[in-house]
Amino acid sequence: MIKSILIISILSFSLVPSINSAEGGPCKDYGDCDQFKPDLNNMASLQRGVGTFMKYCYSCHSLKYSRWGRVANDLQIPEDIFFEYLVPDKDAGPYDLMVAPIHELEIDNAPPDLTLVARKRTSSWVYTYLRAFYDDSSTTYGSNNLVYPGVNMPNILAPIQGSQKLGCKEVPVLAKNGGEKRDEFGNTITKEKCGYLKYQDGSGLLNVEEFDEFIYDLTNFLTYVGEPSRAERERMGVYAIIFFIIFTFLSALLYREYQKDYH
Amino acid sequence: MVTKVLNWINYRLPIINTFERHLSKHPVPKKVNFWYLFGALASIVLILQIVTGIWLMMPYSNTEEGAFASIEYIMRDVDYGWIIRYMHTTGASMFFAIVYLHMFRGLLYGSYKKPKELVWIFGCTIYLVMMAEGFLGYVLPYGQMSYWGAQVIISLFGAIPYIGESLEIWIRGDYYISGITISRFFALHVVALPLILIALVFLHLVALHEVGAGNPEGVDIEEYIDDDGVPLDSVPFFPYKVLSAMPAIGVFGLVFCVIMFFFPEGGGYFLELANFEEANPLVTPEHIAPVWYYSPFYTMLRAVPDPLGGLVVMAAAVAILFVVPWLDRSNVASIRYKGILSKIAIVLFIVSFVTLGYLGTVTVTETGKIMSVICTLMYFAFFLLMPIYTSIEKTYEVPDRL
Repeated sequence: MIKSILIISILSFSLVPSINSAEGGPCKDYGDCDQFKPDLNNMASLQRGVGTFMKYCYSCHSLKYSRWGRVANDLQIPEDIFFEYLVPDKDAGPYDLMVAPIHELEIDNAPPDLTLVARKRTSSWVYTYLRAFYDDSSTTYGSNNLVYPGVNMPNILAPIQGSQKLGCKEVPVLAKNGGEKRDEFGNTITKEKCGYLKYQDGSGLLNVEEFDEFIYDLTNFLTYVGEPSRAERERMGVYAIIFFIIFTFLSALLYREYQKDYH
Repeated sequence: MVTKVLNWINYRLPIINTFERHLSKHPVPKKVNFWYLFGALASIVLILQIVTGIWLMMPYSNTEEGAFASIEYIMRDVDYGWIIRYMHTTGASMFFAIVYLHMFRGLLYGSYKKPKELVWIFGCTIYLVMMAEGFLGYVLPYGQMSYWGAQVIISLFGAIPYIGESLEIWIRGDYYISGITISRFFALHVVALPLILIALVFLHLVALHEVGAGNPEGVDIEEYIDDDGVPLDSVPFFPYKVLSAMPAIGVFGLVFCVIMFFFPEGGGYFLELANFEEANPLVTPEHIAPVWYYSPFYTMLRAVPDPLGGLVVMAAAVAILFVVPWLDRSNVASIRYKGILSKIAIVLFIVSFVTLGYLGTVTVTETGKIMSVICTLMYFAFFLLMPIYTSIEKTYEVPDRL
């Protein structure tokens, strides 16, 4: 009886219409965010990421909840090398917080702290955002962003990525059931849709794949700094789960043995 | 030697008798199903919340400037602070999940029927205190959602006529949510409410042990007793009940660890993404949603256009649970022997409650609004029509023995 109650209840939830679809996604005009899969055990990637962060981001963005020594240690960078090549402030020690000089001035509208940006907005958002800048002469900085329209940040990585403009392309027309519409000869029917990023070949230091890799490393680092114990957490979790599987198995055997007393 | 000491104490304080009466020799029905394990699991989570809470309290700073940063300090600089915090946050969600299942068990098998009315009422009070405890704890990290969630909840009190506005100020201790609010919420969250909670759990258990635990058949095991007065269909709590709970604890530990170690944010339902940003009174988050365990009631609040009406409906939704023992007129306890009307009612009840929960986590739409009204009506109909459908339906014969 209980089983059928549960089954009927679960089935009836499938009747609840999806009312979430009207909302715009977190990546706004870009559409769905590109999926980002962090690799927090890839030290080379994280080390390149912190290098990029210190070179391009740190002049405006702090990581005010994170400490220098922890980052050096977690990313397996010897402290002397770390402080010599990566930390601009020569007075900083391993226990100091990573506060950018701009944030010591206490100015209004300072650029946001990025320690938790990958947790708050998700890594996929950060990865998509950093690759979604395009030239837009109507703004103060001459650039805009599809993921964050009207963002008040210059396209600091433009020399590396090169120029990106908005363009149009032919996209398949979708039928109501989600499939592509075809004409009588079986060819896909398309229409022109605008608002797509168009990359100018050879205008930057890196090509598209290299730039994606470059942003991958930076996002990977921001994911790490959002939760530095995540790699350890996932390692420990495996052992905890193995423990409980064995525990459940053994206690079930014991329970069966004792149950014989009264059955 | 040990026996001597124990006897010395027992002569002055009945520890052995109490231990035997409530634990080692306490008779419990021999045939129950998995629904009867959630009480034990709830007490484990309660202990877990208290222990992790004590450790979190040590590095936490209950000030406006320090609260958010101290959470990040726990997550980064305190040795294994992250595991303690995740245990506490996962524990909070698990506590509610278990208590919801525990309460649903009560509705299924009539765990409130005479003479268990007080057990049920103490349980409902525990749930009410838990809701307050959960809310207060949610505000402490002082993230964006903590702040705006608190803003919404406290302003509910403002809807009360005449005293509303003064009441709001009295709760906050200030004209807006500030460091004063955090430090009083901290005091209530770590001292006042846990004390009340422990006292209520104690009463819940004492009352339960007085009247005896139920079973899915709704059979009164006290009817057939042996020469020592022990029910024939019972087994002693130790070792039998403890052993039957062990595999359940194992499975629960497994689920808990999968969440805590691999999905501590629970997809934004256990730890909301907006709470990774410090509270900012000048910027409202795009979408204010309560944590999942309040969302059915939040939907009821939103289903009524008038704030006071919403508050009354929401309060009534919890209050109505207290009178369930007097709404159920059936001559049987368990759903197994109740008639078809009760079975239909309980299915509709689960559907409405879960739908209300889902609606509370998403933004309001026109369809959503209509559905939330329908589900709120269904929720109340389950209780208000209970005296009718439980008395007119044909019930089945309950066996004598388990």
